[in-house]
Amino acid sequence: MAFHLDYFLASLVSGLAYLPRTLLLVSLPLALGLLGGLVLAAFRVYRVPVLGRLTALGVSIYQGVPIVVALVIYNLLFMSLFNDVAAFFGVATTVAEVDIIWVGIFALALQEVTLMEESFRGAFYSVPAGQREAALACGLTELQALRRIIVPQLVPVAVPMLMNHVVGNIKNSSVVIAIGVAEVLTGASIPAARTYSFLESYVAAGLIYWALATAAEQLIGQWEIRPEARQSSWFWQVCARVRRRRTVTVAQQEKRGQVHAELEAYQKIL
Amino acid sequence: MEALFSWQRFWADVPLLLPYFLVTVKIVFWGIGVGLVLGIVLACLRLRHLAWLEPILHIYVSFMRGTPMLVQLLIIFYGLPLVLAAVGVQEAVRWDKMVFVYAAFALNETAFLSEIFRSAILAVPAGQLEAAYAVGLTRWQAYRRIVLPQAWRIALPGFGADFIALFHGTSLAFLVGVIDIMGRAQALGASTHHALEGYLFVALLFIVCSLGLRVGFNYLDRRLAYGR
Repeated sequence: MAFHLDYFLASLVSGLAYLPRTLLLVSLPLALGLLGGLVLAAFRVYRVPVLGRLTALGVSIYQGVPIVVALVIYNLLFMSLFNDVAAFFGVATTVAEVDIIWVGIFALALQEVTLMEESFRGAFYSVPAGQREAALACGLTELQALRRIIVPQLVPVAVPMLMNHVVGNIKNSSVVIAIGVAEVLTGASIPAARTYSFLESYVAAGLIYWALATAAEQLIGQWEIRPEARQSSWFWQVCARVRRRRTVTVAQQEKRGQVHAELEAYQKIL
Repeated sequence: MEALFSWQRFWADVPLLLPYFLVTVKIVFWGIGVGLVLGIVLACLRLRHLAWLEPILHIYVSFMRGTPMLVQLLIIFYGLPLVLAAVGVQEAVRWDKMVFVYAAFALNETAFLSEIFRSAILAVPAGQLEAAYAVGLTRWQAYRRIVLPQAWRIALPGFGADFIALFHGTSLAFLVGVIDIMGRAQALGASTHHALEGYLFVALLFIVCSLGLRVGFNYLDRRLAYGR
């Protein structure tokens, strides 16, 4: 067996060129999933009459469909129905003009919504019921209580869970090659079409995904470090340095010290 | 233009697709079977923190958990025969291709199950192992009779979720040309120009099986909830 390093490097470069596409496939479904998941979870937790039941039913059914199967079905429907629907609404675009990446984003987003719904539901139950009751007793409406009291308390619970979703989504994003969307995996195998070095291409793609997932994990992991322990973390040190450089110059600091001294003097007089 | 979907074609597809479900079941069987054994071994090895082995195992688990199943499938499907041939197993190139699909899923499951079992073993109170040593059990006896039975109970929910994920993951196999139920649905679609019915049946089958599996694992979880 020969593992050609030059083919491997060519694949790596070619795969990296498609990184923005993969990042789009990861970030947009994630954002939509966050939003949709939160709303659907709220439907279920607050037992909104019809919607709550529908969400419960829909989510548990939809979670049974593998992402590839869903993707292929959406692609088929998109291909055969888009022209008619576009004509019906008087849109002049045809199916050939639409980037198929949107079908992939749609499928990934829907999957992400159902997964996020589960996570957010768990997070909702971690906020004590007294919080909502107290907010209502203060005269907030149900929506105000949700927005100002409950959702902010979901954040610390939701951040660690977000990490699983980011990594899961990075890995899921590769299945879109089933419908021919160009992204990192396809990009990495472009040189292989000429050289038949498919193994090198797949290893290169694997390394890119691995680096991406590890980086995401590390970055979000930094948020879990308690504020008092952040001194020893390189990430927070860099953040602090950037912040310091951007906001406070030496002159400003001196001025601040002056003002502080003046204030203290006033206080003494008073 | 013909209708996009017809129940007639749907029912005609069912007997053509159903036999290929066996391929999916076989992948799950080998994936879980081999993955479970190797996963527990790997978990126990990692818990011993062997100085020379630990970095390798850590990288292995990290790679398997950090890269898409599809990429692993492609690497192992195309790469493992070459690696085997390079180390002297020349006939590996002529083996049934399914062996490498099973291997891909088994190696992936090994990593995931090892993490599930590692955390489960760590969740068993340390006093259990110490007590086992105190009454004179060897390490092997202590793990087999005291720690693993308790760890198994703790690992069950994670194992169930992983099982269903593997079941879903098998649907990727058609992308390397395996004729499983999904591959068959694609082939049917290509020959009849009506793919939707086949795919829909596959989706329904996956939904029913996943719900069944989930109900089954929940039942097991409740039945085995003794002593808490």
